[in-house]
Amino acid sequence: MTFNSVPYLVFLAIAVALFWLLPPRFRRVFVLLTSLAFYASWGLLFVWLPLLVASIVYVIGRQITSDSARQKRWMWLGITCVLVLLIFFKYRVFLLDNLSVLGISVSAHTLSLATRIAFPLGTSFYTFEAIAYLVDLRQGRVKLPSFLDLCLFFFFWPNILSGPLVRARELMPQLTFQKDFEPRFCFEGMDRLVWGLVQKNVIANLLGIWVDKGFAPNAPGIPSTIDGWFLAVAFGLQIYFDFAAYTNMAIGAARLLGVTLPENFRQPYHGATPPEFWSRWHMTLSRWVRDYLFFPLNAKWAGAPFPLYVSLIGVMALVGLWHGAGWGYILWGTLHGAYLVIYRIYESWKTAWPSLASSAMASGLWRLLTLVAVIAAWVPFRAATLHKAAEILSAMFYRFGSGRAYGSTFYVFTAAITVFCAIEPWLMGKLTKLEVQAGAEGPSPFRILVRPIAYSFGLLLFLLFYEHNAQFIYSQF
Amino acid sequence: MIPDSTTIRNAAREVVSQLIGRPLKDGQRLVTSGLIDSLSVLKLIGLLEKKLLVKIPPETLQPEDFDNVDLIVETVQRVAIPNP
Repeated sequence: MTFNSVPYLVFLAIAVALFWLLPPRFRRVFVLLTSLAFYASWGLLFVWLPLLVASIVYVIGRQITSDSARQKRWMWLGITCVLVLLIFFKYRVFLLDNLSVLGISVSAHTLSLATRIAFPLGTSFYTFEAIAYLVDLRQGRVKLPSFLDLCLFFFFWPNILSGPLVRARELMPQLTFQKDFEPRFCFEGMDRLVWGLVQKNVIANLLGIWVDKGFAPNAPGIPSTIDGWFLAVAFGLQIYFDFAAYTNMAIGAARLLGVTLPENFRQPYHGATPPEFWSRWHMTLSRWVRDYLFFPLNAKWAGAPFPLYVSLIGVMALVGLWHGAGWGYILWGTLHGAYLVIYRIYESWKTAWPSLASSAMASGLWRLLTLVAVIAAWVPFRAATLHKAAEILSAMFYRFGSGRAYGSTFYVFTAAITVFCAIEPWLMGKLTKLEVQAGAEGPSPFRILVRPIAYSFGLLLFLLFYEHNAQFIYSQF
Repeated sequence: MIPDSTTIRNAAREVVSQLIGRPLKDGQRLVTSGLIDSLSVLKLIGLLEKKLLVKIPPETLQPEDFDNVDLIVETVQRVAIPNP
């Protein structure tokens, strides 16, 4: 069941209604069962994997809490077990494919066997949550709960497939489900859910039609400069709206149960510098990387420049690899690492030349450079091959050519969505102000009239643009 | 010896103000608000160590342990060890 499907919406409506009808003491078991049913709808056989991850965390967690002399060793054992599972399920084909670089040949039979094992959805997300849990447990930030509560944490259906990546300390206290029903849970949940459906079905899926065509390995030759730029921008918008849609629907579903999940996006293309982009894009992954990888690594060297630059590039290359087993993803991550290094070097210049810090021209230039660099980096991320990526990037930056290979709808739609992104903060500000003026806390006309009309319109758009089996991009990661 | 909470608080306010280039407001969030990043937290740790003559081992810490002055005081008191 994908989030943007009618069966899921029916499942959600029934699950939420039963959840609030049940006495609080039965809700935990009920949510665990519905979560298992939701995950099993993707493949019954794979339910054992998150179960295994939860078991590893539980068994190792017991050792961490009881054997204080060897806490660190137990933590590393747990992390290794979880990583082995992730590597086996996500990277085995990529690793076997690339063994030839080391002069090791793999038989076609082994490779075909390896490709036959499917990739269980959400593995990258719940394994990262498991690693965070083990570290937090060792650092004394969380307590080890019962096995049932731990399973509930890993299986919680709103965020099991593609996040947001939650910390146990922010989600587990909420999974007791002791709250009484409040109408705001409905409004807040529905706002996110309906907007997510529109973002996915109307914006992301439409952009995807042209993006799929332009980035396909068999797309004819080098595109014109305008097509190269439009394709890169269209994919940047597609992936943003696709993932933001998923996140909105995850946050919305959790909100309907009275649970608050952390935000993942804050208008990322408004980031004025590379670090600011990462503080607005996939915020829960950025936070994970910062807390469990980047900070501990750099703490060893107290932030000295050379190790810092190496770790920035290395960590971002790993972030790329986390997204998918392919060189395009690694290149995307490495490029972002390089952008962060360049910005750090610039920051060190700012100390020497304070005039740079107050220069409006410098900050404007950084805003533009950041946007161009982020868009350019999406090309290897999306292109089917590195060769295709090189063709599109060359068209964008130095092999200037004219001509348009798509109908005018593509250019107009992409430009319109770009303008929407540009004014999104202003629009959201206006909407919030309007709601506050209308009396957001009480039964205002805004709530009684405007919201149901907006929801109906959103659902109508969702159904009009309904596409059977349209997957979210991040569900592959 | 680990300094008392007032000394740590005063040192934290001074060091943070130095890092952000302006006086620190009461209760101001530092990391979660994006005012300082994880590298600035490492700088903050280094400056606090010099000022308070202690060692703050960062291996069991996370940037959000330094999210405001109260948390900085609590963290330093919890993990700091006196300089030999």
